[in-house]
Amino acid sequence: MSKERTRLVRSRRTRRVVVGAATALVLVGGGFAVANAATAGSDKSAAGVQRPVDKQAKGTAAVVSAANAFLNTLTSDQQASTLLDFSQANATAWSNLPCGGTCRPGIQLSTLSDDQLAAAKALLKTALGTGKDTGYAHVLQTLKADDVLASAESTSSASAAPTDAPTATDSATPTDSASATATDSASAAPTDVPTGAPPSGGAGGGGGFSYGSGYYYLALLGTPSKTGTWQLHFGGHHLAVNITYKDGKVSGASPYFTGVEPTSWTADDGTTYAPLAKFRNGLLKLTGSLSTAQLAEAKLSESFSDVLLGPGKDGDFPETKEGIKVSELSPKQKKLVLAAIHPWIADVDDATAAQLMKTYAKELDQTYVAYSGGTGLDTQGDYVRIDGPGVWVEFVVQNGIVFQNQVHYHTVYRDHTRDYGNEFSFS
Amino acid sequence: MTGPRNWLTTVLTRLVAGIAIVVPAALLLGASPAAAHPMPHSVVQLDVYRSSVSARLELPVSDFSRASGIDLEDITGKTVPAAQRKAVRAYLAAHIHPATTGGRAWQVGIGAMHLSATRQTSTGPYRELTVAAVLTPPAGADVRHFTFHYDVIVHQVVTHVTLVTVRQDWANGQVDGKGTTQVGTIELDIRHMKVPALKVDLGPGSAWRGLVAMVELGGNHILTGTDHLLFLLILLLPAPLAATGGRWTGLVGPRKALARIGGITLAFTAGHSVALAATALGRLQIPSWPVEAFIAASILVGAIHAIRPLFPGREAVVAGVFGLGHGMAFSFVLAEMHLSTGQLVTSLLGFNLGIELVQLLLVCLALPSLLVLARLRVQPVIRLTGAALTGVAALGWLVDRLGLPNPVARAADSAGSHTTLLLVILTLAAVTSTAWSLTARVRSAPQGGGLRPRWRAAPDRS
Repeated sequence: MSKERTRLVRSRRTRRVVVGAATALVLVGGGFAVANAATAGSDKSAAGVQRPVDKQAKGTAAVVSAANAFLNTLTSDQQASTLLDFSQANATAWSNLPCGGTCRPGIQLSTLSDDQLAAAKALLKTALGTGKDTGYAHVLQTLKADDVLASAESTSSASAAPTDAPTATDSATPTDSASATATDSASAAPTDVPTGAPPSGGAGGGGGFSYGSGYYYLALLGTPSKTGTWQLHFGGHHLAVNITYKDGKVSGASPYFTGVEPTSWTADDGTTYAPLAKFRNGLLKLTGSLSTAQLAEAKLSESFSDVLLGPGKDGDFPETKEGIKVSELSPKQKKLVLAAIHPWIADVDDATAAQLMKTYAKELDQTYVAYSGGTGLDTQGDYVRIDGPGVWVEFVVQNGIVFQNQVHYHTVYRDHTRDYGNEFSFS
Repeated sequence: MTGPRNWLTTVLTRLVAGIAIVVPAALLLGASPAAAHPMPHSVVQLDVYRSSVSARLELPVSDFSRASGIDLEDITGKTVPAAQRKAVRAYLAAHIHPATTGGRAWQVGIGAMHLSATRQTSTGPYRELTVAAVLTPPAGADVRHFTFHYDVIVHQVVTHVTLVTVRQDWANGQVDGKGTTQVGTIELDIRHMKVPALKVDLGPGSAWRGLVAMVELGGNHILTGTDHLLFLLILLLPAPLAATGGRWTGLVGPRKALARIGGITLAFTAGHSVALAATALGRLQIPSWPVEAFIAASILVGAIHAIRPLFPGREAVVAGVFGLGHGMAFSFVLAEMHLSTGQLVTSLLGFNLGIELVQLLLVCLALPSLLVLARLRVQPVIRLTGAALTGVAALGWLVDRLGLPNPVARAADSAGSHTTLLLVILTLAAVTSTAWSLTARVRSAPQGGGLRPRWRAAPDRS
């Protein structure tokens, strides 16, 4: 009897096993087929929808065209990670940290093919300013700096420091590169930026962070168009570019975070880079022009180890402006204030930058200049801020992270009313 | 760690789908911390007791020196010189002001401090000042809800951020000392250029949550404490065997084997429970190394006994006596928590309950294997191999506890971290053993041949 029962149980078990195995087979096979179909489908649709491209377009139309040309090179999967909602969550997702794609949306540059990367760069070049060491050229230099960090991390020779403090001292007048024509592309020639992920050792500085020009991300928030509202969102370590377009115009060229480590270096071909030298020099000229009394008025009692309005601090402008009011400065000093903010504003295309500079010039007398630490901008804690009704620029000197025996810079440009095109309210 | 986790569910889930837990857990652990800050931030880590809160302040030296004007940047050692120590105390006392929700000030005591090197995500290495502090509310005031006026460093370095975390909070079920929960962030309100106080709300807290957490802690303690488990299992290994002439020969029959296993387990339980209660409630300060060495020795004795019977028939007594040592070791866990007497009694109950539950579970899981193993022809090989391995581990531990760290001890300790694997193996072994003995019985009954269990040859006489 027990034998009989066992046999029964056993045969029942066997049946169950067979049924189970069959089910598993069907599931796995089915899943495989579906996955195959999905992949095949995506390949087809990539070539399917073609967005309009107009090589003759100017202004925002040219940016839209370049964005479409870039999207046309992408598979539908790639488009899905590039073309995202213009939501507050997506727009404010940027960081100065080398946190790769964990803290910012968009498609990773290192995943793009040569053609796709060329189209991405063409888009950036169209949207950004053409100035020497500002705009597009500056952004490329920032990516190069991260490659320096990646190779320093991979060879662990961080102590072998690149050249020290920047020496370039070209004077940026408020008008010079803002009036530069679009044909002046000498400095904007797309240099070849290494795109591959850095060698395995390149994942830097604890916490699994990654350095290198491959870890930069491009997103289009909202559909690029000549009439709608959308945003170009590009960034990575030490970089966040946010340009908002509305009804065919740039409605905001900020927040714009730009920092750099190392502050300067010489490449293998002998070229010396100092991506923030122009930005720093403008501030040095301004603070250098202040008299002892003016300096005393401009001095802040607080200390700074970073910028105040970095990532996540949207809309948090201090209610009371601090420092010396620009209306108290001489005409020459006022010009220096405008010259000092210009490199940040020159982030965006030249026509927009010129417009913004006009606005900031009008608001100049209600603008304040303040500093903390020393005025040399060469020691941890040295800090300068320019805060107007619209413009907000901060520059801070911090200790090095990878090159510990040097300092490095963090800066941010914001606008009290134009961040993200004023599309969001931060209460 | 928000709700009281049901410990039993945890164990069951581990049994059923250990791997399924590991994957999402790893993903969760990999998630980036709440504050992504490129400059080193401060941490205030709280241990919440019944009537006071102890705080461990971790302060980056660079920002601390800048803010306080006390220069610690050139000190390379661990010690803060006496002159600076006094200044640090005065500075901290001026910037740490917890108060009841009604506004009555708490007392703040600043204790020991030292300097060390550390690093945070993306900051690179930097030096840190660590200070112990005790925050005490006025008599009768609520320790779980208070207003934390704290502006160390940030009153001057306005970009500085302080994370406030809780490491231990018995009444909230947070007892294992591993990991912390974030209470809040203290940073500048940039719009108003002021540092708002942090409202600390640690929830109602209850003895029940403390008890549940202690059951879980007890269960985990025996599950991950390879030494306790190994001692018990190695004593149980020869339980189904008969000792004659100083050798393990033949079988004693399943009923007797079960009685022995039950006796040994009970005696071990009695021994460690008595010692745990006495040591914990008496708040005895026992140095840990002799106890740990005693435990290692107990395992060694057990291993030798599994090879050649040293004390046949008196295993239960031995288990009880050595159990005393294991109980003292359990009490160290409780002693570290600095609990009030009421919490201690509840904790003792919960902790011991957790230990016994898991011990029972493990013995039940091991039982079929122990019985079946004894009947296999390869029994001596398995027994001797197991005993030898255990003996080597015990020797490694003994040498380590006597002051000579060695790879054997490290390897044996690390075995305790693979609890899921251990449970899966035990379960599989139990299922296989049960299935094998069932089929063996069924097959052998009519034919009287084939794969015969050996205890039919040596029938049960007990």
